Amino acid sequence: MNGTNGLLVLAVLIGVPLLGGFLRGVDRKLTARLQGRIGPPIWQPFYDFLKLMGKKTLISSRATLAWACGYLALTLLATVLFFLGQDLLAVVLILGFGGACLALGAYSVRSPYAHLGANRELLQMFAYEPVLLLTAVAIFLKTGSFQVASVFRQEGALIHSLWPTFLAVLAALTIKMRKSPFDIAASEHAHQELVRGVYTEYSGKSLALIELAHWYELVLLLGLVFLFWARPWWAGLLLAVFSFFLEILIDNILARLRWRTMLYFTWVEGMGLALANIVYLNLIRGLL
Amino acid sequence: MRLDWLVAWLVLLPIVAGLLSLSVYRSTLRKALVLGTAAILAFMAVLLAAVTLGKGSPQGLDTAPWLSTLINWLDFALVAYFLYVGFRWRHYLVAGLAALQGVLLSLLEFWQLPHGLTVHPTFLLDPLASIMVLVISVIGSLICVYALDYMPEHEAHLHLERTRQPLFFCFLVGFLGVMNGLVMANNLLWLFFFWEMTTLCCYELIRHDRTEEAQASALRALWMNLIGGVACVLAMFLIYRTLGTLSLVAVVQEASLGGALLLPLAFLSLTAFTKAAQVPFQSWLLGAMVAPTPVSALLHSSTMVKAGVYLVLRLAPALFGTVLSSALAVFGAFVYLAASLLAISQTVSKRVLALSTVANLGLIIACAGINTDLALAAALVILIFHALSKGLLFMTVGIYEQQLGSRDIEVMEGLVNRSPVAAVVGIVGMLSMAFVPFGAVLGKWASLEAAATSTSAWFPLVAAFIAVGSAASLVFWVKWLGRLLSTVPLREEEKLEKRKGVYAYGTVLGLTGLLLVASVLVGGLVRELVLPAVTALGYQPQVAANWSGWGSPYGFFTVWPVFLVAGAALLLPLLTFRARREDYRPVYLCGENLAVEEAAFRGIGDQPVPLETGGLYLSASWGEARLNPWINLLGLMLLLVILLVAGVGA
Repeated sequence: MNGTNGLLVLAVLIGVPLLGGFLRGVDRKLTARLQGRIGPPIWQPFYDFLKLMGKKTLISSRATLAWACGYLALTLLATVLFFLGQDLLAVVLILGFGGACLALGAYSVRSPYAHLGANRELLQMFAYEPVLLLTAVAIFLKTGSFQVASVFRQEGALIHSLWPTFLAVLAALTIKMRKSPFDIAASEHAHQELVRGVYTEYSGKSLALIELAHWYELVLLLGLVFLFWARPWWAGLLLAVFSFFLEILIDNILARLRWRTMLYFTWVEGMGLALANIVYLNLIRGLL
Repeated sequence: MRLDWLVAWLVLLPIVAGLLSLSVYRSTLRKALVLGTAAILAFMAVLLAAVTLGKGSPQGLDTAPWLSTLINWLDFALVAYFLYVGFRWRHYLVAGLAALQGVLLSLLEFWQLPHGLTVHPTFLLDPLASIMVLVISVIGSLICVYALDYMPEHEAHLHLERTRQPLFFCFLVGFLGVMNGLVMANNLLWLFFFWEMTTLCCYELIRHDRTEEAQASALRALWMNLIGGVACVLAMFLIYRTLGTLSLVAVVQEASLGGALLLPLAFLSLTAFTKAAQVPFQSWLLGAMVAPTPVSALLHSSTMVKAGVYLVLRLAPALFGTVLSSALAVFGAFVYLAASLLAISQTVSKRVLALSTVANLGLIIACAGINTDLALAAALVILIFHALSKGLLFMTVGIYEQQLGSRDIEVMEGLVNRSPVAAVVGIVGMLSMAFVPFGAVLGKWASLEAAATSTSAWFPLVAAFIAVGSAASLVFWVKWLGRLLSTVPLREEEKLEKRKGVYAYGTVLGLTGLLLVASVLVGGLVRELVLPAVTALGYQPQVAANWSGWGSPYGFFTVWPVFLVAGAALLLPLLTFRARREDYRPVYLCGENLAVEEAAFRGIGDQPVPLETGGLYLSASWGEARLNPWINLLGLMLLLVILLVAGVGA
């Protein structure tokens, strides 16, 4: 690893959670306004984080804490690898391992609420993981490489030929951001749930670590959206911001659906679009 | 050491040791015999790998002509025995297939082949064969050692008057020799002999307990594998008619002849599918779990099913660029998806493992069908790591089974407290099957990249199958892991590990160590073992590998950061954080808990209601009853398409 990469890693480690926490704050404020509440200050996620970190550690199982650390560490690693321009497929797989850690932590103690949440977290992974894997394949077909860095060497924007895949990613993004209608394992703060499914048995520091991981994850996902219009960079940024606000809007106008609907939607609509996109690109590749 | 001696040791030592064990009724003597054989066999396998990798080019080895004649007569003896089995158990499908095989074999030997046909060379020793021999001899030997602990306890439950272990170890240890012969054979007649011998060993091992269920499962395994045998003889007919020889290496080299060889290659693929328990033949492997657990471990990890995928990998270069190759890719990927989906609804641990085996073998076959250097490397990586992980998992499940008296996943709840050592080993095994950067999943990663880079028009379908199958496998592994992990805070559970058998725990821990070392050093493994094998098969590998990871021009996976980060994150809190008694809180039960260490809540009238949680099986969506007919139908149709495609091509 050379000096520039070292600086980049440092920037990702510090900058990404700041951005992620800020976005979460915007999300909470905006959602509150949409619900006719005043809402917390923009910086509330950071206050929450600090408060949770200062809590005394009370646990129902030591393993829960370990899996929370695993979730954070793997999400962080996936984010770092993504911003270093590494293999996109590897990033998706590592992110999947991270998500599984969250479920495993919930399974680590015999708690009915946590188990239900973990089961549903698994169903969510079952829904979005294939979509993300196929997205990596679709991006490969345009760039000729699985390395994220290759997107920036590409002439023009991916979204011109990959718009069906982009729509599929939006569906996966809804699940990954834990937004309605697909927030079946647990919803985010904005919905003010009392018992939060998969997070039921996480508390104090481990909950703080999970919050932190969510910040990394959010920025990583928006980064994935950014890739679709990476040149010029401001277009990608606009696309990411647009997607972010779109998800908040969807979250607030739709109610939670059942898991079957989620699977049906992501597989038939999401994967169907991505697959159609891939088949088309493959045909083009065959003709040229 | 001279090569011919090395081969003789690898093939004959286990067979001789197996035959010797028939007369060994003292357990100390049996232990000495099995341990000695295991040690020598593993050493010889390493030696063979060193020799073949050192020489660079594949080494041929000829045998005396009388040996070939002997093998031919033994073929007929085997057919006669299968015929006897068919009539003895009134299973006329077995009898009919055996008779058909006998007729075809007679036609081949006495009518088509000239008298005294010599095939040069009899054995071919190349890196692919060495990898297989390593897998068979090292992992297989460990499983035999494990059986030394398992079988006495297994028999204690059966209340036998006289131990049947001599017969059991005869076939278990002998199996290794037969497999070694199979992967080194170049003469198709020899390969066929070893092939049928594995069918025999498998049949005898499955029926070992002599129950009705065991006998039925054994007969099912027999008839399905006999179909493969018939297809193999048909393939030999066609190959001899086209090429005038029965050398496997000639088949691969002359593949440029194209059309004429497609049909025999399709028949050989069918042979491989039966042995590798691909859809629609998966039911024999699922039935095989009635056998004692060392048998399952052996069949799934290092022998039997691996013979099937070995044959496909061996033939892959011959298929290069053909439509048959694309058909194999679609078929394999379909099996991967189907078996992964079926595994979600299984409540019996061994069935989950079996379906995961079917899935991974399908993925290996898909890789062979994708047929690029990266795909072949991926296939070999999956093969090696699947053998390590699955051997480990079956042996661990065998330990659970003897501790719990059940194979049900639901009964394994909270095993991490009740049987900590075995549970942690099992957790490592499952993580290694389900997650990056462990080898089995790295193989999946590489296979998906290979699918994307292949030029076949079918690749979107292959990629989609692999993507969904991969997500499904994540689901069934994680939910099983969840059952093992689920504990009640502070409750002192009854400890199940009262007796830690030195052979059972020793082999399981040893294999865990081997798995972890191999996983961390996967880049080196790819560079030193896998790439030479891919090169020797005739591919020009663009795959890059160093000690930190491996990849292709399209993407690279650096392994150690993931191990470092995941390992530190998961282990550090467990090692550094010491929880005191007062730090524990009961689980959330709406505030109606009885006590911290009590998994119960106050229900109606303040009566205590015990808390129960169960796993997720979703059998309404992915139950076998619902999926099986469709999956079998589709599998059968794909098989027919493969044969048709080859037939039309010819």
